[in-house]
Amino acid sequence: MHFFYLATFDIEAQAGPRALFEIFGIPINDTTVIGYAITIGLIIFARLATRNLELLPGRLQNTLEMFLEAIIDTTEGMMPGGGRKFLPFIGTIALFIGFSNIIGVLPLVKNPTADLNMTLAFGLSVFIFSNAYAIKVKGLWGYLKGYAEPMVFMLPINILGELAKPISHSFRLFGNVFGGSVLIALAAYFVPGIIPVPLMAWFDIFIGLVQALIFTMLAIAYISIASE
Amino acid sequence: MVEFSPELLETIIRAAALIGAGLALIAGIGPGIGQGFAAGKAVESVARQPEARGLITTTMLVGQAVSESTGIYAFVFALILLFFIIL
Repeated sequence: MHFFYLATFDIEAQAGPRALFEIFGIPINDTTVIGYAITIGLIIFARLATRNLELLPGRLQNTLEMFLEAIIDTTEGMMPGGGRKFLPFIGTIALFIGFSNIIGVLPLVKNPTADLNMTLAFGLSVFIFSNAYAIKVKGLWGYLKGYAEPMVFMLPINILGELAKPISHSFRLFGNVFGGSVLIALAAYFVPGIIPVPLMAWFDIFIGLVQALIFTMLAIAYISIASE
Repeated sequence: MVEFSPELLETIIRAAALIGAGLALIAGIGPGIGQGFAAGKAVESVARQPEARGLITTTMLVGQAVSESTGIYAFVFALILLFFIIL
């Protein structure tokens, strides 16, 4: 039974993934489909841009080099010497989340990041990566001893603070993108045609790019804090 | 002891969930003030040192994102109240 005015502007379509079809009894939802579409598009773009590398870069190669240099510079600024080392992980996060956030401007396409499953997967992978890197840098004993800093009775607080990181990291991205899509759906219900277009430009392009930048910067910050 | 019918109880729960979702958005005050304060300080710093503009902007954005967490939590709780309790 639906509540009457929530059902009128079809807000359930915004909430959570929708199963599109089934393969061998496994439901495939729209988040998965759009996520794979972005992945394949990025792979094709990278293949095209790096097909014949030249000393004087062409247009595609120039775009890619600009992007990679921006990521390396950002990482170098927060973690000296780590720019090239973390480029695969950080660059994947930045590219995929950036494209996931701005793909919502296309009609009938839902942002994959407006699904908590997607953002929680990214948050957890950053969490596992930063902790594994900390163990690799400091050794297992040094890593465990880091939780008892500066005093032993801070142990539960430190562990809780560490566990809260992936939750706040992923809920921040999800809340921003999903809140934007809910606001756009509301505006499209009340004032169809005019108002939603600048709102989509604002939420999907500007807020989306800023949130992708923030997610990437926080991932770098978590990795650099964990390994100190 | 007053006996409520199940329909009435359901209605009361829904109304309370809607009011709770509205009240949760009061938490938007805190991040709003905090982010505005951070942006104002960033404007001051850019006016003082225009050449450090890029660094100031990134630092401001990251700080605002961290201080935004409480507002996002409130938003998520409001959504839980709206979607999982009502529907």
